[in-house]
Amino acid sequence: MTNSLLFGISIFVYFFSMVLYVSYLAFRSDALGKVATLTLLSGVLVETAAIFLRWYESYQMGIGRAPLTNLYESLVFFALTIAVFYLLMEWKFKIKTVGAFVTPFPFIVMAYASLNPNEIQPLVPALKSNWLIAHVVTCFVGYAAFAVSFGVSILYLFKMNAENKSGKKGGVLLEYLPSSELLDEIGYKTIAIGFPLLTIGIITGAFWANVAWGTYWSWDPKETWSLIVWLIYAAYLHARITRGWRGKKAALLSILGFAATLFCYLGVNLILSGLHSYGGAS
Amino acid sequence: MPENEKVKARRVDFIDRIWGFFTSLRLVIILLLVLSLLSVVGTVIEQNKPLQEYYRFFRPETVELFLKLGLLDMYHSWWFTSCLALLALNVIACTMERYPSIMKGLKTANVVLDEKLEAGLKDPAKIKYHLPAETVEKRVTELVKKIFPAGPIVTETQDARHFFYEKGRYTRLSFLLTHLSILIIFIGAIGGSIFGFKGYVNINEGSTISTIQTRKGENKALNFGVRCNSFNADYYETGAPKDYRSDLSVIRDGKEVLRQTIRVNDPLSYEGITFYQSSFGALPDNVTLEIRGKNDASHGTVVAPVGKQVDIPGSGIRIEVADYREHFHFPDGSEAGTAIGVNIFRPGAEPEGVWIYEAYPEKNNHWGYSFKVKGVKLQKYTGLQVNKDPGVWLVWTGCIMLVVGIMLAFFTSHKKLWIRIGKDRKGRVELTAGGMANKNKYAFSSEVARLFDSFREVS
Ligand code: HEM
Repeated sequence: MTNSLLFGISIFVYFFSMVLYVSYLAFRSDALGKVATLTLLSGVLVETAAIFLRWYESYQMGIGRAPLTNLYESLVFFALTIAVFYLLMEWKFKIKTVGAFVTPFPFIVMAYASLNPNEIQPLVPALKSNWLIAHVVTCFVGYAAFAVSFGVSILYLFKMNAENKSGKKGGVLLEYLPSSELLDEIGYKTIAIGFPLLTIGIITGAFWANVAWGTYWSWDPKETWSLIVWLIYAAYLHARITRGWRGKKAALLSILGFAATLFCYLGVNLILSGLHSYGGAS
Repeated sequence: MPENEKVKARRVDFIDRIWGFFTSLRLVIILLLVLSLLSVVGTVIEQNKPLQEYYRFFRPETVELFLKLGLLDMYHSWWFTSCLALLALNVIACTMERYPSIMKGLKTANVVLDEKLEAGLKDPAKIKYHLPAETVEKRVTELVKKIFPAGPIVTETQDARHFFYEKGRYTRLSFLLTHLSILIIFIGAIGGSIFGFKGYVNINEGSTISTIQTRKGENKALNFGVRCNSFNADYYETGAPKDYRSDLSVIRDGKEVLRQTIRVNDPLSYEGITFYQSSFGALPDNVTLEIRGKNDASHGTVVAPVGKQVDIPGSGIRIEVADYREHFHFPDGSEAGTAIGVNIFRPGAEPEGVWIYEAYPEKNNHWGYSFKVKGVKLQKYTGLQVNKDPGVWLVWTGCIMLVVGIMLAFFTSHKKLWIRIGKDRKGRVELTAGGMANKNKYAFSSEVARLFDSFREVS
């Protein structure tokens, strides 16, 4: 299948972009930084092409469905949204140094995806719904935002830690990193984008469940974990807006939130069982 | 202080403290985190399984403990619902507390840039021009249009003209919208569980039902009948199900009032009751058996309807077809094909249940009789989930409010801009301007600073 060939290429491209971003952090050459961004961008383009090709191929096989319905496809989409989201943040806030902390995700996620079965399989009746597509897309863009916020928060903690150790002066590297206020602000802004998306994701999921099974909420582990993630970020936002939690406390909550996100996405399938179609026997 | 006033003061103090507890933001954050922590427990211990499953995995004392703590149905336990109730009280209190200031923010602000207002503005601009006031006014209002497309409120005072611009006043309602939406969702969910029901029903192809079974195990009569005209299932080549659909009719007073084909993502609703395609299957209607007795003497063939005892002519025994399996497994796990569960009634003996295999007639010898399956007449049925949830529309209303509220809260703000064009002491035209926003202040003030820079270039 040609789509898997393209996916394979994109894994390598993501790998190189990660190496380039890390080297950029180490050597701080602007040329390297440009190449790193372009490499990541080409990874995104190749992967987008692969997804559309997979979609097209599913029609050729007479199945005809959006490529968003099993673990492999969701991982692939997750990798893409993280890369795209990061590129947008880099472009808006000029924070190339954050790349070294975010670009490992698309690579790791794609590499993990490649360990999963990737045949195009027909859909069982419950998954044939446009609500499903709205649900998956919004959830994953939300997750991607949380992933970027996680990377930024790690960088923030790393920077604060190094500054506290080496006093005010710090190394050349520290000075090269974005200011801690900016990191803190980006950490918040990305969550402020991810939270409404996750909210829409949970609601469209509930709507779909109601149409398919007649219950919008049944406390199955996947639903419950998405609620847990939502509650943690709601706590984060309230702590920040109303109690002025900033800096370290906010960064730690953001990291906790992303840990819960990862568990919601993978842990529930690998460790807990549920109604959802990702992973499992199929 | 007189005694009764002291008591009063103490009471006020007490009420204040309770109010303070419920409006405290620390409580919100703690509640949100506690609820998420509790929810984790319910995903680790599987909920609402049959009791024997818990006994298989845990020691009996552990199961008893879980039962006592309500951990096996924890999302409906008193402590979990209390946390939700506390959250609801918390939201109500916070919303009431902030209501007056929100309403105040919605009132039209001061439209005149006087000295008092000017003193409260952050980074106001003061620009002098060697141009006629009319020209300045025309150019400047043109520039402002880019940020505030809606025209200004213009006020004349003795010595100056004032221009007031405003955008997004109603985004101040975002707080009310998000927090009320949570209450509305709660009310919808509670209302639905009190005034609605969830149940299921199997309908044989061609027959009509008018009662269903609720999840609590009760029978519930409907005001109408539902007939399954036909049921069909399609499969992919791999054998995975592709589509299942039931052609249903709603029957009222003997007449068909609605006919619709339902599928997994496409239910039927009638009078607030919704029928969802959930499962399907087939049960035998009757089974034709050929029976031989001792010395291979034939007792002929009988057609045995399911669940009815039938005499076997000339043998003195009776049989009853009681069960049916399409894919039976032998005790060693190998596939046995179709099997019929038959109870055999012999005179003077307890009835005995045996399995009769369609594909292995040589295994079907019991007490000197041998059975052969000649035919099975199957009756297909469709399995429907039946719900009534009168609260669901409130839940969706709340969800829409929640999303709109969150979007407004994060991405919009109430922005105001004042401009005054007057004369300074030397008689030159002087422009004073300043802006204010309730959120995203940093972004707005840099936007305003750029606007003021463009004012300075007016010549
Ligand atoms: C459980 C779900 C909740 C959600 C989704 C939620 C959502 C929000 C959002 C989006 C904001 C930002 C508003 C803004 O920036 O103007 C906010 C602010 C706030 N929330 Fe909540 N909230 C929740 C629960 C609560 C509760 C239970 C309380 C009660 C104490 C509360 C009190 C507040 C307060 C006081 C603010 C500050 C508003 C401001 O400063 O403008 N929230 N909430």
